[in-house]
Amino acid sequence: MRYYLGKIGLFLLTLWAAITVNFLLPRMMPGSPADAAIAKLSQNGPVTPEMRASIEAQLGVPTGNPFQQYIQYLNDVVHLNFGISYSNFPQSVSSLVSTALPWTLVLVGTVTILSFIIGTMLGAAMAWKRGSLVDATGSVSSSFFSAFPPFWLALLLLFFLGYVAKAFPTSGAYAATSVPNLSWSFLVDALYHSILPGLTILITSLGSWVMGMRNNMINTLGDDYVTFAEANGLHQRTVMLRYAARNALLPNLTSFGLVLGGVVGGSLLVEQVFSYPGIGMLLFQAVTNQDYPLMQALFLMITVSVLVANFIVDILYGVLDPRTRR
Amino acid sequence: MSLLHIDHLSIEYDTPGTEPVKAVHDVNVDLEQGEFVGLVGESGSGKSTLGFAITALSRPPARVSEGKVIFDGVDISTLNQEELRKQRRGGFAMVLQSGMNALNPVRTIRNHFMDIFKAHEHVQKDRREARAKELIEKVGLPANTLNRYPGELSGGMRQRVSIALALSLDPKLMVFDEPTTALDVLVQHEVMNTIRELQKSEGFTAILISHDLGIVLESTQRVLVMHNGRIVEDASSREILEHPKDDYTKMLLSHYGDPRAEHVSVPGLRTRENANEAYKENAHAEDNRTALTVSHITKIYPAHKRGDGEVRAVDDVSFTLDPGQSLALVGASGSGKSTIAKMITAVENPTSGVITLGSKHIEKMHRGRDLRALRSDIQMVFQDPYAALNPLHNVEYILSRPILNYTKLKGSAARNRMLELLEFVGLTPVEQFAAKLPHQLSGGQRQRVVIARALASDPKVLIADEPVSMLDMTLRAGILALLDDLRVRLNVSMLYITHDLLSARLITDNIMVLNQGHVVERGETSKVLQHPHDDYTISLLDAIPKLQVGEQA
Repeated sequence: MRYYLGKIGLFLLTLWAAITVNFLLPRMMPGSPADAAIAKLSQNGPVTPEMRASIEAQLGVPTGNPFQQYIQYLNDVVHLNFGISYSNFPQSVSSLVSTALPWTLVLVGTVTILSFIIGTMLGAAMAWKRGSLVDATGSVSSSFFSAFPPFWLALLLLFFLGYVAKAFPTSGAYAATSVPNLSWSFLVDALYHSILPGLTILITSLGSWVMGMRNNMINTLGDDYVTFAEANGLHQRTVMLRYAARNALLPNLTSFGLVLGGVVGGSLLVEQVFSYPGIGMLLFQAVTNQDYPLMQALFLMITVSVLVANFIVDILYGVLDPRTRR
Repeated sequence: MSLLHIDHLSIEYDTPGTEPVKAVHDVNVDLEQGEFVGLVGESGSGKSTLGFAITALSRPPARVSEGKVIFDGVDISTLNQEELRKQRRGGFAMVLQSGMNALNPVRTIRNHFMDIFKAHEHVQKDRREARAKELIEKVGLPANTLNRYPGELSGGMRQRVSIALALSLDPKLMVFDEPTTALDVLVQHEVMNTIRELQKSEGFTAILISHDLGIVLESTQRVLVMHNGRIVEDASSREILEHPKDDYTKMLLSHYGDPRAEHVSVPGLRTRENANEAYKENAHAEDNRTALTVSHITKIYPAHKRGDGEVRAVDDVSFTLDPGQSLALVGASGSGKSTIAKMITAVENPTSGVITLGSKHIEKMHRGRDLRALRSDIQMVFQDPYAALNPLHNVEYILSRPILNYTKLKGSAARNRMLELLEFVGLTPVEQFAAKLPHQLSGGQRQRVVIARALASDPKVLIADEPVSMLDMTLRAGILALLDDLRVRLNVSMLYITHDLLSARLITDNIMVLNQGHVVERGETSKVLQHPHDDYTISLLDAIPKLQVGEQA
């Protein structure tokens, strides 16, 4: 129990630190968004104090002392109020994020989990049959495919399967004519659109799980408890799953936590290539348009989700590995 | 018909691209029901390879190249995987060397038993819990051990659990592969007692594989001596002890001695009297080396968990180490011996007390110039020569570092010093050894490099922490002789940390016995070991396998 309480405490502390850093950083940077806008405007002629005032009013220059600002900021964070986007004026940042988030979560999230599960099982099977044809083929193709840059594979798939073969749509998350809803036909259409980007992410991420699991498992297969389990005549299945794979899984879980946290950041390049309206696209837009409120909200969200994912993995570790609980 | 019949068995290690290495050569053995047989040999003799072959656990690259193993009338190589798995109940079982790691860290002890019961279904479902309890109590553990995870048990307890698990298979034959090697002396003694009692009460046939002839003779009725893959002698324990025929067996026997005896000697090592003569002859009078004085040091570690008490690792220990003196610090693991070494080398600072080397106060050193000077005055020889050398550097580099760092020698003078050190520790031809990498050296050679490295800075005090415990019996004498020689020729004083009382008797003049951080007994080594007063010293001495045949032979 103390283990879990400690983990919760640590999580809350880092969460607070992340949120606070997100408050401090923009204030420590030289200049302000208003200055940037004014600098652009001044190329076309002098900027009058009135123009400056109106720009500042539009962008919302902070008032009050830093402590009051901090309290106001915390209040805003709790209410998910991140202000108005510059690039999509006058939409609020939270509405932009909440439209993009489901697409990324469903696509990148599902594929990441799928990739972890398939990769781990494949890696375990290869280690169990190490030296066999399955192992050799698996090892070679894992390193081959994980060496592919995702955006390049995305372009290949787009060109051959999308453009040449016309088997899959080449852009978007759903047909341009439909409006997002929960009807059966729309879901099928969305799934159809997600196959190419999903495949890209799956193929490029699978290899590292396969190789990671295979190498861990080859180590655990050499451990004495596996030999001893075999000497005791346990079923092969039990030895493979409950003894070897179960222990080999633990180190892989840590990397899974990190990757899972990164899911919310979207897959920037892949989403870009397929014009997929997820967080990756949004982040790209925010950066190119210097949309500070949007960027700040996205960075905060990515940080928080990495923390949450790691927290979940920590808790899971406690459940799965009795040695960490003490 | 015998229970186990090994017929012209040869085993090769077959690594692709290289010549196969023959690990076991034409072994013929018959084992009768109920026999307790010892299999003795040094590392690399093929004893474990043979053990694994008998229990059908050989893994590539090991391969049976000739002959067969017939167990209970069946050639085990003809069994398919499922038949083999099934016969592991009521057939042969194995207890592995490092019992510490033989248990799955993420499963409770109860689950380990249940896995076996499920795999063989030889115990009724409603009887399983009771049977597990019965077995765990049989090896001398409380029933609540079943709820624990392996990580919560000590090494000795884990090895007992492995024995109980192997027993749960109702085996006809049990193979114990170095079952107590990784354990502490006192624990080792108790676990061996349990194994002997079980063998008698359960009546299984047993093979005890060990490098320690003492343990084997004490337990078994018959001994197989293995050397370079061959069984060189197969005779009753009494025969082996009283009339050994093979030269190798004789050589093994000659390296044993009883530390309690009036005179103790081992080939390759001079007696204490001769060593002290030699020390006096090498006039060290002009040497104004200073003594290491330890007075009233105590080390207290904070509690591991809230609620636990603090740990007094070392409690009010005082001693003086004069130049050229050799002092043994003995005790079981956890007695505080290594903590004392850490404080003398200023790796840790004592909670209270004073340590001085001449005018230097070691207990207050943290970093900087003082500590650097200290490092050149006090050097360590480590226990594990395999871990103490950086595998990426050759011997020349390893030895040159301390020479360049701690002496004023440079260039060819430094190189000459390096070669001189190699010569001193007996690694000749020196040029050849200088170019070698650690993995190209044997364990004994590596330990010589470690000693040469410790000597490079011309230290006044050498701390040797179990320097021979990882080495084979026959290699130990050489290393011990070298350590003793340092004192005689270089006037280095030595703190010899060990749990092995025989080696302490062989190379030290004074001894301190440590128990839970306290010095319980001290004095001249030969006197203390011949006439021990403290119960703890007596129990340490009793735990040593004596070269005598056990009662069951």
